[in-house]
Amino acid sequence: MATRNRTVIYRKHRDAVKSVRAPLSSSASGSGGPVIEMASLLNSNRSSYAPLSTEDPGPSSRDAFTVGLPPAWVDDSEEVAANIQRARVKMAELTKAHAKALMPSFGDGKEDQRLIEALTLEITDILRRSGKRLQKLSSSGSAEDSNVRKNVQRSLATDLQNLSMDLRRKQSTYLKRLQKQKEGPEGVDLEMNFSGNKSRLEDDEFDDMSLNEHQMHKLKKSEQFTVEREREINQVMQSVNELAQIMKDLSVLVIDQGTIVDRIDYNIQTVAVSVEEGLKQLQKAERTQKKGGMVRCATVLVIMCFVLLVLLILKEILL
Amino acid sequence: MVLVSAVRDYINRMLQDISGMKVLILDSQTVSIVSVAYSQSELLQKEVFLVELVDSISKSKESMSHLKAIFFLRPTSENIHHLRRQLASPRFGEYHLFFSNMLKDTQIHILADSDEHEVVQQVQEFYADFVASDPFHFSLNVPSNHLYMLPAVVDPSNLQNFCDRVVDGIAAIFLALKRRPFIRYQRTSDIAKRIAQETTKLMYQQESGLFDFRRTDISPLLLIIDRRDDPVTPLLNQWTYQAMVHELIGIQDNKVDLRSIGKIPKDQQEVVLSSEQDAFFKANMYENFGDIGLNIKRLVDEFQQIAKSNQKIQTIEDMAKFVDNYPEYKKMHGNVSKHVTLVTEMSKIVEEHKLMLVSQTEQDLACNGGQVAAFEAVTNLLNNESISDIDCLRLVMLYALRYEKESPVQLMQLFNKLASRSPKYKPGLVQFLLKQAGVDKRTGDLYGNRDLLNIARNMARGLKGVENVYTQHQPLLFQTMESITKGRLRDVDYPYIGNHFQQGSRLQEVVIFIVGGTTYEESRSVALQNASNSGIRFILGGSVVLNSKRFLKDLEEAQRIARSSPAVV
Repeated sequence: MATRNRTVIYRKHRDAVKSVRAPLSSSASGSGGPVIEMASLLNSNRSSYAPLSTEDPGPSSRDAFTVGLPPAWVDDSEEVAANIQRARVKMAELTKAHAKALMPSFGDGKEDQRLIEALTLEITDILRRSGKRLQKLSSSGSAEDSNVRKNVQRSLATDLQNLSMDLRRKQSTYLKRLQKQKEGPEGVDLEMNFSGNKSRLEDDEFDDMSLNEHQMHKLKKSEQFTVEREREINQVMQSVNELAQIMKDLSVLVIDQGTIVDRIDYNIQTVAVSVEEGLKQLQKAERTQKKGGMVRCATVLVIMCFVLLVLLILKEILL
Repeated sequence: MVLVSAVRDYINRMLQDISGMKVLILDSQTVSIVSVAYSQSELLQKEVFLVELVDSISKSKESMSHLKAIFFLRPTSENIHHLRRQLASPRFGEYHLFFSNMLKDTQIHILADSDEHEVVQQVQEFYADFVASDPFHFSLNVPSNHLYMLPAVVDPSNLQNFCDRVVDGIAAIFLALKRRPFIRYQRTSDIAKRIAQETTKLMYQQESGLFDFRRTDISPLLLIIDRRDDPVTPLLNQWTYQAMVHELIGIQDNKVDLRSIGKIPKDQQEVVLSSEQDAFFKANMYENFGDIGLNIKRLVDEFQQIAKSNQKIQTIEDMAKFVDNYPEYKKMHGNVSKHVTLVTEMSKIVEEHKLMLVSQTEQDLACNGGQVAAFEAVTNLLNNESISDIDCLRLVMLYALRYEKESPVQLMQLFNKLASRSPKYKPGLVQFLLKQAGVDKRTGDLYGNRDLLNIARNMARGLKGVENVYTQHQPLLFQTMESITKGRLRDVDYPYIGNHFQQGSRLQEVVIFIVGGTTYEESRSVALQNASNSGIRFILGGSVVLNSKRFLKDLEEAQRIARSSPAVV
C-alpha cells in the first residue's frame, strides 16, 4: 500500500513564505483574536503584501487555536465514557466472583453471593445512570454541533448496549451453571431416597415412621435449597428486567449495522437535505410575507394618503 | 476483497495516529469511495464524530476548535480553492490533509501560502482513488462518460479531463497494490491507445520513482479495452440478482433507491446491497432469478420459525433468551424485508413489461444464428403493444448489431417500424450505434463467427442445449480472459505499449479496464473466473457501471454533441 508524504515540502514552502511575510508585517495592532485579512494570493506580488493587522503567527497563537475550549456537553460525554470504563472493570471482577462462587467450597458461600449481588447492583446502576445522562445529552448545546452530539451519543449508546448484553450473558451462564450444580447433590439425594424407599417397603410400620422422619428431614433441606435458589433467580431476573429496560431505551440511539443508516453518504445527505429544506421553508415564508395582506393594506393606505393629500392641495389652490 | 481492504487500510492509517474528537471532510467523489468501504459505526468507534462535504463546510461560520479536521479529497483545483478558503479562516484545531492522488507542486505551494495560522500538521497522498464496489470490481464514477465515444477534436479539454481521471484511477489501483504493470491496449480504439500511452508515461517516466517497487515477481498485466467492442452486454436484460437489480432499478455505490419505483414502506426506501455486510446477498448475488426465489422463501421460513418461537414467551428464561437475541432478530428482520421487497418489485416490473418474452428474443439475438427467425421474432415484438419503447429500441439495436450486413432491406423495415412506434427514439440512434460499434469497428469476435474454432464451439453448444435460456449469454470478456489464461491474446489485436513486456512467464494478476463502463454481468464473469482457481487473479474496472438505460443515455448524449459539432463528419 503505497503512500507519499508531502509534509516536508509543504513545511519548507510554508516557512519560506513566512520568512518573506514576517519582515513586511507592520506593528502588531489588533492583538486580540487572530483575525487575518488576506490579500488575494494569486494576484498580488510577493514583494507587496498588504500590511497585516495582526501579530506574527508565532507559537502562542498556534496554541490558542489548537487548545480550543470544547463545549460543555463534551464533559458530560467524557464522564459517561469514564463510567463505561469503570463498568468494564467491575465486570471483570464480577466474572472472577462468579467463577469463585461456582467452585465447590466448604463454607456456605454466603459471602460470595453477597459480593456478586453487590457487584451486579453496582454495574446495573452505573449503566442505568449513564443511559439517562446520555439521553439528556441531546437537549443541551447549540444547533451547529448537533450532528457531532448525535454521533457521540450513538457511539456511547452502542458501547453501553454491548456492555448490557455482555452482563446479561454472563448472568445467564452463571445462573445455568448454578442450577446444574444445585441439582447435582439433589439428584443424588433423591436417588438414595428412592432406593431407600423401595428396600424399606416390605418392613413394618415402625420402620416406615422412622423413614418418614428421614424423608421429612430431606424434604425440609430440599425446600430450603429451593427457596434459596428461587431468591437468587429472582434477583438475577430483576437485574435482567432492568437491563432490558435500559436496552430498550438505548436501541433508539444505536445504529443497525448493514442498513442504510450505517452509510456515511446517507448521513451526509440527510444533513444536506434538512439544510435545504430549511432554506426552502424560509424562502416560502418570505414569499408569503411579501404577498401578505398586511403589505397590501399598507400600500393601499399609503396610496390613499397621497391621493387625499393631493386633493387637499388642489382644494387649497382652487379655492 | 483486495480492493476493499486496500481502501480500508488507507482510511485506518489516516485515523489511527490522531487522538481525540475528529471530523472527516470529504468531497463528492471521495464520499462514494469511503462509503462503500467504511461504515458510519466504524467511524464512530474511531472517534470521528462528524462527516461533512468540503463545499458545504466552507459556508458555515462556527468555530469548533476542539475538533481535529481530517480532509480526504481528490487533488482538483476546486478542492484546493475550498481548502485555501478554509485555511485562511480555520474552524478546527488541527488540519490533516490527505489527497487521493498525486499533487502538483503548484498546488502544494498554493496551500502553503494560505496556511498563515500554520494549522496544517501533515500533507499526504493516500491513493484510494477508486470506488471498490465488489471484491474484484471497481468503478471511477466519471461524470461525463459519453465523451469516450467522440473523436478528440470535438471537445479536447473535456476529453483530456476524462483521460486524466481514468489515468489517475488506474494509477491509484496499482499504487494501492504496489505493482507496476506492463500495458496492452485494444488496437482499434483510439481512446484506449491514448489512455495506455498516458498511463505508461506516468508510470515509467514522470513518476517512475513512485512506481519503482523493486519487486522480483512477475509484473501484472493491464489491459485497456473499449466498451464499444462489446456493445451487446450492456443492452441485454439480466437475470442474476445483482445485475438484475441494477438493470431494473439501479445500484449506485452499492445503494439501491426504491423511492421512484412504487409505494414502499419508509424503512425500505433506500437499501444497501453489499456482499461484505450481507451474507445472504454474498451467497446469492450471482444466482439466477428462479434460484433466488427459492432461497428467499427458505430465508423467510427460517425467519418465521424464529419469530414464532419468540412469541411463545412463557417462562422467564424464554424472556431472557428473547432479550439476548433481540438485536440479531432485528437485523435478520431488516435483511429479510429488504430482499423480499427487492424481489417483489422486480417481479412486478418483469410482469408489467413482459420482460421474459423480450429477453428470450434478446438472448437468441445475442447467442444464436438464424437471421430469418430473428427478423420475424423482432417484428412480432415490435407489433406487440405491451412492449415498452425502450425495449423495442434495444431489440432493434441487437438485431442491427448482429445482422448489420445481411439483408439491409429488412433492417430498414425495422427502422421504419421503430420510428412509427416511438417518435422519441429516433432510429438515428441505432445508426449511430452501428457507426460507433459496428462490425468494422470491433476487434473481438463478438458472435463467435469469425474464426473456425469459435464457430465449432457454438455449434457444439447449440447441439448440447442450454441449461437456462435466459442466462446463456457469455460476455466477450469471458473469451478475453480465457485467451489471457492460455497465453493466447493476440499481439496484433492487443499490442503492447513500449518495450516493457515479459514474454513467456506466467501471469499472476491481470487488471482489465473497460473505457466507457463495465456491467455487473461482466463482474460476475470475473468473480466466477477467479473462483475457478486458474492461477490468475483478474480485477475488472471501468469508468462507470452501466445498465441499458445508462448506455443508451451515453449514446444519446454523444449523438447530440456529434450532431451539433462541425468537426464530426
